[in-house]
Amino acid sequence: MPGETHNGMQCNEFEGLLFDALDGLLTGAKQDRFQAHARVCAKCGPMLAEIEAGQHWLKSLVEVEPPAHLVNDVLAATSGIPSYRLEEIATSAHKPSFGERLREWSDSVLAPFWSTVRQPRFAMSFGMAFFSLSVALSVAGVKPNDLKQADLSRSGLRRTYYTTSARVVKYYENIRLVYEIESKVQELRKVTRPAGRKEEKERERNHKNNTSGEPEPRQERNYIRDENQPALASVPENPPAVSVTTIRRLV
Amino acid sequence: MEDAQIVNGLVRRCIAGDAVAWEEIVQRYNRRIYNICYRFAGSPDDAQDLTQEVFIKMYRTLSSYDVERGAFMTWITTMTRNLLVDHFRKTKQDRVTDSIDAPPSEHEDSMPLSDQIPDKGPAPDTKVQSRETGAVVHEALQKLSPELREAVILRDLQDMDYREIAAVLRVPEGTVKSRINRGRAELARLLQRIYRQVM
Repeated sequence: MPGETHNGMQCNEFEGLLFDALDGLLTGAKQDRFQAHARVCAKCGPMLAEIEAGQHWLKSLVEVEPPAHLVNDVLAATSGIPSYRLEEIATSAHKPSFGERLREWSDSVLAPFWSTVRQPRFAMSFGMAFFSLSVALSVAGVKPNDLKQADLSRSGLRRTYYTTSARVVKYYENIRLVYEIESKVQELRKVTRPAGRKEEKERERNHKNNTSGEPEPRQERNYIRDENQPALASVPENPPAVSVTTIRRLV
Repeated sequence: MEDAQIVNGLVRRCIAGDAVAWEEIVQRYNRRIYNICYRFAGSPDDAQDLTQEVFIKMYRTLSSYDVERGAFMTWITTMTRNLLVDHFRKTKQDRVTDSIDAPPSEHEDSMPLSDQIPDKGPAPDTKVQSRETGAVVHEALQKLSPELREAVILRDLQDMDYREIAAVLRVPEGTVKSRINRGRAELARLLQRIYRQVM
């Protein structure tokens, strides 16, 4: 009961001193009276024991370690800036050199290729391909030394360009000269054609007066159409679609 | 320079937009907030989510912190506690009330609440043998009512004094002391029952 007195201390007073006692602040005669009341009081004694036990259990709980990524998650969710400390630690721990990075890159890129090439069947195929290529190049007259001597400098490339374009222009001029000569020849032919027609008419007249009964000498038909006679052709109403493909050859 | 002055300086720099100061605050307080959340919510996943929520809210409302009104630690603990209570209300977890051994009401049967709650887990002896003591105590802590749980967590696990706890919980110091004592006694009774069943 709250009003009960044991060893000169009431239960109300006991409850008032309870926190000081639990926090270790109670000393001297007060503590003795407190302990004596707890020993004899049927209510306060068990209550103190339970509270002390609960406090003991709670103190046994150790602090738990938060997840390692928690700080980064929080920073990402708030400021959006990654942890500068973690970055510093990561960069100062190991900074790979350019050579190491290059080696890493080449390993990652070439490793799958080399693992395939090392297989016997592929190695044989690559060997045969190399042999065929070298034979073809030697037959074509290509020598590796010529390729080595090729001038790939800026001025060399410019010189090659101008030489090549001059060669193309010269070739074009030659072709034009040939066509001009051809057209002149054709014009000359046209000029000489009327004289030939008169001879033809005389031969025809002779044929009509021929009564000898001998077989007629074979006449060569002139299939050359006169340019002044237009060629007429009948076109069907629905002409079939014809596709024409022109192949241009680049010289 | 005192700790409070350092923290106030960090807060000022953070409000001014200093990301390094904000990270310093996160580094300083993430462990404490995570532990409060873990002991209150019970699971590491919930604790992680709640800790993030606390920091997000803190980041948004940092400018409202008034140095004159109280310590920064009290401010963030109050914020954490309020979020935990909101989380508890949302999840609607059924907890044992502070009178775990008393009948809940006159209309119900006289069996104590601790006996009414069915234990769906393995047998007590298996449970105790397979887990460490800390895990058993942590589990028993989850069976306390939120009012008692938050009081004992702040006092016995976070070592806050009664005045600070009263400020965080917004209740008189006497109420705080009463809740702490009831929480400790309740926990002891629960654990005694578990160990008695094992023995």
